[in-house]
Amino acid sequence: MDTLSNLGIGFGVAFTPLNLLVAAIGAFLGTIVGVLPGLGPINGVAMLVPICFAMGLPPETALILLAAVYVGAEYGGRITSILLNVPGEAASVMTTLDGYPLARQGLGAVALSLSAWASFVGSSIAILGIALLAPLVARFALAFGPAEYFVLMIFAFCALTSLLGDNPVKGILMAAIGLAISTVGVDSNSGVYRYTFDLPQLADGIDFTVVVIGLFAIAEMLQMLEKLLSGHKVEVTSSGRKIFSLKEMAFTWWTTVRSGVLGFVIGVLPGAGASVASAVAYSNEKRLHESRDPDAKFGRGDMRGLVAPEAANNAAATGSFIPMLTLGVPGSGTTAVMMGALTLYNITPGPVLFETKPELVWGLIASLAVANVILLLMNVPMVRVFASMLAIPGYILVPGILAISFIGVYAISGSVFDLLMMTAIGVVGYFMVKVKMPMAPLVLGVVLGDLMEQNFRRGLSITNGDPVIFVSSTICITLWILALAVVIVPPALRAYGKRGNRPPAV
Amino acid sequence: MTINDRMAGIAGLLLAAFLAVFGWGLQAPFAYEPVGPRAFPLGLSLVIALCSGWLIYKGGGEAEPNPPGANLRISLMVGLIAGYAFLFVWLGFVIANTIMVVFVGRLFGGSWVKAVITGVAMSVLFFLLFDKVLDVVLPTGLLGGLL
Repeated sequence: MDTLSNLGIGFGVAFTPLNLLVAAIGAFLGTIVGVLPGLGPINGVAMLVPICFAMGLPPETALILLAAVYVGAEYGGRITSILLNVPGEAASVMTTLDGYPLARQGLGAVALSLSAWASFVGSSIAILGIALLAPLVARFALAFGPAEYFVLMIFAFCALTSLLGDNPVKGILMAAIGLAISTVGVDSNSGVYRYTFDLPQLADGIDFTVVVIGLFAIAEMLQMLEKLLSGHKVEVTSSGRKIFSLKEMAFTWWTTVRSGVLGFVIGVLPGAGASVASAVAYSNEKRLHESRDPDAKFGRGDMRGLVAPEAANNAAATGSFIPMLTLGVPGSGTTAVMMGALTLYNITPGPVLFETKPELVWGLIASLAVANVILLLMNVPMVRVFASMLAIPGYILVPGILAISFIGVYAISGSVFDLLMMTAIGVVGYFMVKVKMPMAPLVLGVVLGDLMEQNFRRGLSITNGDPVIFVSSTICITLWILALAVVIVPPALRAYGKRGNRPPAV
Repeated sequence: MTINDRMAGIAGLLLAAFLAVFGWGLQAPFAYEPVGPRAFPLGLSLVIALCSGWLIYKGGGEAEPNPPGANLRISLMVGLIAGYAFLFVWLGFVIANTIMVVFVGRLFGGSWVKAVITGVAMSVLFFLLFDKVLDVVLPTGLLGGLL
């Protein structure tokens, strides 16, 4: 009953007044970030990382705040999807399909509360999954040597690039650029200065917050300017009922549970994040019901079509903590940013974390559960408050984002050089987005670069330079096969789907 | 003119060349390990070059052209952000932020009056919130004596 006693430690951490407060604030901020179109979990988390650090929050508290923001954003994304047909963030695209028709039928409030419930169930399933599964994975990962880690990271990159975009070459390119950024600075093994050009500001390398905020705040802002967003006014259409009925809950129960489990499994895989999970869950439910149930009206306001993506995206967001916590290899852009936050505290996530910092790991797991309850309680009555955030005009919102980004980066480095570099990275990032380069592999590269190079060199040191070390264990070979499979199978499936002249599954 | 994959590929090739040229001479004075500090960057340079070459070869991927006037606004915005970065420490947060909010606010469609009110209010509020309440130290700059 190790898990139970560990959960006890976790709830002990989660229920300290500071951490409770932080979880509530994070849940609130996260929901707002999720509501605002253009800002997703990764933007919110990226902007908060340096501020957490500068405020001197202890690591577990900072991680709890970031995790609450992350999960909150998955809750918040659904609000505009349902009310306006505008997904607040990428993972809630599928929610518009049935959510918006429901709102048009005057069931907006019911759809909002039912989807909040589905999100809650999805997250709860995933939290349970983490508590049961994470220690096992961590124990297994203790057997990993440098070679295994190196190949594992290769696998993570393969999974991320292959599942995210339609152009894997761009994914590999971005991953390599990210890794290259991480080589700037003093090489810790030999003391050689790499790409620093005698600038003292570069000796410690390019800070990851500078890269992340440049890419996810500055570049995003330039894109907003391109579209020139203005405030939307939203009315929460009132119907007779504010909340879903027990009958509706029973009607959608198995869909919710199925999608939650599916979302969790997809979330655990590196690379496939919440967006993939919600799409797969939706098409799965659609296929399952449309053949049997003549009353199914997916795409025209079926409640099962509403709960499936919501349960799945929350479960996936929560599940994606597993690879980060247990292996130290984040599976998504957002968890990569969180791992970067931990490295600011000189904490390297990985299997030993469960032994050395149980209060951090289990505190996080318990706090996810607490934040989840807070989010459910917050999201049912306060939908109007969050929807009203959309009325914030661009001339307040955008300078606000810019100011917070600058405060964060300045707080960490205190240097004008970093502020300028962040601006430059933002401009480059804007062009990258323009030509549809995926950002997540780049972030993963920046965060993992040092670890990957160290493991690569350490592995080769063991065999005195013979690369056979990377294929010498069963784990390595299995990981290579998985990496190859994840690159080859999805395009092959897509090609097969096209030839059979069927609509693609997603 | 719009940018496309081929241009991205050319930029990638330049980056790869940059990494290779400045990475070539990276050698440790005393080598304790079989793989020195330059293997990893040079390997990455190769990967970047190969991917960029592929993008140049394939071509296509035209980015959507910006709506008229957007390029000018984006350039102005970049200028404003860079200016904000330069002035952030020298003028101090409150003054630099007010200036930034006013002009960025104008760019995002606020009237002069609204932009100025937002600028002053946001700067003072954020300074109090971050510097005084949350202990995130901000530069005081010209107002150093007052704050």
